[in-house]
Amino acid sequence: MIEVILLISAAIFGVGVYGALSQQSFVMIMMGLELMINATVLAIVAFWWGTTGGDPRGQLLVVVVLAVMAIEAAMGFALVTAVYRVRKADITEKLKRLRN
Amino acid sequence: MSALQTFGIVIFGVGAVVSGWLVFRTDSMVRAAYWLMASFVAVGAILVTLDSQFLGLILILMMAGEMTIMAIFMVMFMMNPAGLNPMVMVHQHRTAIAAGVGSFLLLATVALVADFPADPVPLGADPTAELGFELLGRSMLVFESAGVALLAVMIGAVAVAGKWGRFGDADAGSVEPELEPEEGGS
Amino acid sequence: MNPVQAVLFIGVVLGLGAYLVAVLDRVFAGAPGGLRSGLMWPIRRTAFLLVQRRSETERPDAEAWALAPALLAALAAVGLTAVPFTPSLAVADVSAGIVLFGAAMIIVMVAVFLQGWSPNSIFPLIAAYRFAAMALSFGIPFSLVVLTTAIPAESLSVGAVVASQEGLWNVVRQPLGLPVYLVTGAAVAFWGPFRIPEGTDLAGGTALEASGPTLAVWRIARAGVLVTLSVMGAAIFLGGHLGPVLPGWAWTSVKSVALLTLFVWSGHAFARMRVERFVWFGWVILLPIALVDVFASGIVAL
Repeated sequence: MIEVILLISAAIFGVGVYGALSQQSFVMIMMGLELMINATVLAIVAFWWGTTGGDPRGQLLVVVVLAVMAIEAAMGFALVTAVYRVRKADITEKLKRLRN
Repeated sequence: MSALQTFGIVIFGVGAVVSGWLVFRTDSMVRAAYWLMASFVAVGAILVTLDSQFLGLILILMMAGEMTIMAIFMVMFMMNPAGLNPMVMVHQHRTAIAAGVGSFLLLATVALVADFPADPVPLGADPTAELGFELLGRSMLVFESAGVALLAVMIGAVAVAGKWGRFGDADAGSVEPELEPEEGGS
Repeated sequence: MNPVQAVLFIGVVLGLGAYLVAVLDRVFAGAPGGLRSGLMWPIRRTAFLLVQRRSETERPDAEAWALAPALLAALAAVGLTAVPFTPSLAVADVSAGIVLFGAAMIIVMVAVFLQGWSPNSIFPLIAAYRFAAMALSFGIPFSLVVLTTAIPAESLSVGAVVASQEGLWNVVRQPLGLPVYLVTGAAVAFWGPFRIPEGTDLAGGTALEASGPTLAVWRIARAGVLVTLSVMGAAIFLGGHLGPVLPGWAWTSVKSVALLTLFVWSGHAFARMRVERFVWFGWVILLPIALVDVFASGIVAL
């Protein structure tokens, strides 16, 4: 069973990689990142459920990943706002430095 | 594991992958955000099936709020948020597809070839309670660090997004992008 | 309870509750004809909406528009499944029932946003943004007061929360909980003084472009959310099925109807709040009260 769940997780991760690399819009890139984190959460829980005998530290790792996801979202939204102030658009092309 | 659970995992798994894919296939930004939410809800449902009810439900709870915020940000910043006109905004498309397929194949190979130890969650365990004792017992430092990191990010995000910066107004000298596609893009 | 029974049970409870909401609303509004016409009014209104011709807008997001009322109804049903009506009668008294209820009530934000966004019309769109601002303001205090009831029970299951109130109801043990719950609950169902996204200043807001059967489902679903909030409030603050003499289901019904009446009455007792005042109210007044509630309950539990 764990193989099936890991395959699902791998597919979600692949879609996330595609999205994060191909999109021009900042927020769409963040969506790709979120999909990758989604896949990570699924894989961690699959391992916790199938191979650790219910060690709660597996679940703890998921809680940490969720915190990372919140941090990623908050910083992402802050950056997209900052970029929009400079560029009047939220696309990443030709964006080389954070300091204007 | 009962047949019903297996069925649920497969259905929700396919749902999670397909809705994740549709995120990048739709022109409407609100739809993109809520397809992503659908993907998270499907994964949350799988987590519930895998005996971790609390984490699955917390994942869904977090994502509902975050995706609405994401939809609002996209509507604020995108040129065509409602998807009334078809739009493709991609760069390095071939590389991205190759990287996506490649990472899937790599992970899938690992999933199929590797030999995982079989040590499932014991029957009758209460993972929600165990997680609670873990968070506020042995691993309290980790938990508290995550909280402090979130606080730091709140302050940092406000500082980054603020209009007043060390180098004057953040939007000083900003220009609208040209409507012609820029060179080097897609 | 097998799945078919469960669906029927939840449907009947939500249907009866929504009917009661409509009747009470009519009676509190002082509509002509009094109680007798009030009892018939929901049926007449639903029958009218079912045969009404649907109005259309230019290039709506049709799928999302059809989905939003169904989603709202489903969320009301999901929230209701976690509540035990008697010690043995619950659809799914799962170990994280309170989180399930919280998640369902937060996703109401998604349903309302879709309902406002998808007709491609300006007033519903403004209403959707207003509700998003509202939801971010009431979401945290709402979740906090609901989760605080789990502290004395030492469990996230609603059944355990009800059982923990055997000697003393949470409304006494956590005096700040129920008032904040009622205020934020009315905001979750955008009811009463918080009918901001459906206010008359937006000509009906999220419901402006809806018509026919979808409007009927939207109205019923919104009343259903109010029913779910009342039943859950009765369970986690008023001791649910606990009480002398009468059987458990009777106590659950009496307490739920009392809360439901309070919710509906608030719609006619208070003026609608402006959205910017609500945002201020949520962050500056409700959130600190909810935090005090958490800390005080924690200290009492220790």
